[in-house]
Amino acid sequence: MLETINLSKSFKGKKVVQDVNLYLNNGESVGLLGPNGAGKSTTISMISTLIKPTSGEIKLNGVNTIDKPGEIRRISGVVPQELALYQELSAYENLKFFGAIYKMTGKELEKGIQQALEFVGLEARQKDLVKTYSGGMKRRLNIAAALLHQPKILILDEPTVGIDPQSRNHILETVRMLNQKDGTTILYTSHYMEEVEQLCDRLYIMDHGKIIAAGTKAELLSILSTEDTIKVELNKLDETFVEQVKTIEGVRKVEASHLQLKIIATKGSNLISKLVHLAEQHHLQLINFHTETPSLEDVFLQLTGRTLRN
Amino acid sequence: MRSFIKKDLLIFWRDRKEIATVLILPIILVLVLNFAFAGLFSNDGQSSLDLQLAVVNQDDEAEAMVQLNEKLVNEASIGDQEAKALVKQANDVHPVQLLFEFLESEDLKDWVTVHKLEESEAVDKVKDGDLDAILIIPDGFTADSLYAAFIGGSPATSLEYKLEKETNNSSTLYSIIHGFIDHLNYQFAIQEIAGTSEVEVKLPEGGFEEIGAGETFTMTQYFTVTMGVLFALFLVATAATKTGVEIREQVFNRILLTNSHPMQFLIGKMVSTICLVLLQIIFVIIVSHFILDVFPNRSMTFWIGLITMVLLLSLALSGLAAVFTAISLRVTDIDAANGIFMLVILLFGIIGGNFVPIYMLPDWLQQIGEWTPNGLFLVMLTEWIQFEELSSIAKPSILLTGFFLLFTLIGFVLFPQRGKAK
Repeated sequence: MLETINLSKSFKGKKVVQDVNLYLNNGESVGLLGPNGAGKSTTISMISTLIKPTSGEIKLNGVNTIDKPGEIRRISGVVPQELALYQELSAYENLKFFGAIYKMTGKELEKGIQQALEFVGLEARQKDLVKTYSGGMKRRLNIAAALLHQPKILILDEPTVGIDPQSRNHILETVRMLNQKDGTTILYTSHYMEEVEQLCDRLYIMDHGKIIAAGTKAELLSILSTEDTIKVELNKLDETFVEQVKTIEGVRKVEASHLQLKIIATKGSNLISKLVHLAEQHHLQLINFHTETPSLEDVFLQLTGRTLRN
Repeated sequence: MRSFIKKDLLIFWRDRKEIATVLILPIILVLVLNFAFAGLFSNDGQSSLDLQLAVVNQDDEAEAMVQLNEKLVNEASIGDQEAKALVKQANDVHPVQLLFEFLESEDLKDWVTVHKLEESEAVDKVKDGDLDAILIIPDGFTADSLYAAFIGGSPATSLEYKLEKETNNSSTLYSIIHGFIDHLNYQFAIQEIAGTSEVEVKLPEGGFEEIGAGETFTMTQYFTVTMGVLFALFLVATAATKTGVEIREQVFNRILLTNSHPMQFLIGKMVSTICLVLLQIIFVIIVSHFILDVFPNRSMTFWIGLITMVLLLSLALSGLAAVFTAISLRVTDIDAANGIFMLVILLFGIIGGNFVPIYMLPDWLQQIGEWTPNGLFLVMLTEWIQFEELSSIAKPSILLTGFFLLFTLIGFVLFPQRGKAK
């Protein structure tokens, strides 16, 4: 349905997006995961036709949307990271304005407004000015404004930034319903791994403007299939101890935090006995010790050497 | 398009602070300024005026009767005997003397000081601001006036009234001289000499302006009009500021994504500016009128003309709003841009005569001031208030329309293409 081919963008000579290739099938929910500054928003801005790529192509059902931007605008809704709403207007007035400039009129417009408000649970507060809303309500209205014209593709750019858990769950549930019940194709960007894990069928992991991994959750986790993630809790943390752990055969990465060590090592490294022995040598006491199932966070750590929130 | 206009008007209406600023504050200022300066500029206090008038007498009264005789014989084909009889009769009438008597009469001497000077000296003193105006009695004035009175035509030679700049004083002087002509006609009538004489107001070389008889442009009117226009200019800056908010809050991007033509955004801004400026100035004028009786006893034509002029100004200012909006969409630092817009507005306000009457400014600044929409509007409205003649406002109206077209063109050219907005 939608694909990008070697999509790149430079600002003042600096490449912020480099050769991004991604695709979305009809009705699919796809996540774009990456830390802040990875290039997710720029990629989405290019896909939604807000900015022109420096090079590369974007195709919607085979039609180049860079040459014909109207094609994708007509069938897509964009939920920007910022609250793109008029604070001095009510929710109803905001939706009426955006609906009208989508060329919706009369009953169609009225029905679209009420459906969108109902979908995000704001029908009771529709006459209130947006500036009186909580952060979560504004985020929900931000989504409603993108749903008015019943888009086939919904592009969401970090729609849950800075809101309370309840509103966040409401938004995630809304997106899930749109995808599963209405069949809306979703492109969801976030730096919250758990959101993407929960919502998306497939993922693209982005860092420094590049796609560094892609696939289903299982496919991505298989990157770590030859590895174990072991968490060790100690009574105190000794830097010499940490350095010596890194030298143990089979250990690939060690991350120290407070009194914990997160160790990624090759499967079957027989690490436990070596760690116990080393701790004794350093007069350290092992308080807790367990092997973890790898997560996408671990995948990202493995791929970039950093955590998503770095 | 209607959605864009409605949105802009609604946003403005919801901004109570802005409403108070552009609607209530100018009226308060009109009231305060009117009462504060009432004693200083009041037209009712004419007794406190000290009008300095240079009179340049170029007429040779000794030759007047000879000239009259020649004109009667050569131009009116009157017989020699009959002409001599008329000249004898005319010996009793001395128009120049009557003029001096009139200007130095008990009625006028307290507030008009006559200076009998040569023309060059008089011109210098008026330019230096030592005198208010010059009245030139041209050569042949006596003979021409008497000849015209005898044959019942208009005199070939007229009094010339010159002034450096338009002030309440010079306007009053004009009325006084016009009063003299009435007085002169009265004298002729008493002597059963039919005829008329007119003061012809000329526009001589050297940048003198003409002034005719009409309604006086009062300080209350000045304050009402200028405060209305000044805050209309602030409205234009507000329109640009609101564009800045739309950019900052990403709603402009959302508009772009709706597939609607971006120019609709700009045209929406212009139309809403027209509506707001029109309503704002008319509100200020009408409320001030009801409180201070700013335009007493004026005809419906006057009011229609006034509203038409405000509409023309609204058009010009909507063009300015288009320029500001387009610039707002191009710059990266919207706060700096808003600061510059406010400076431009204040500059327009100063040189356009919204802070002090334009005639108080240096000549070069006055000339520049008339090339601002607000300055031009003030000139046009001053003419309309005084003379209510379409001919006097035709040129400024065309220029204001020109401003509208020019600003709109600049706004359209500067308006960024999709993806170029910052």
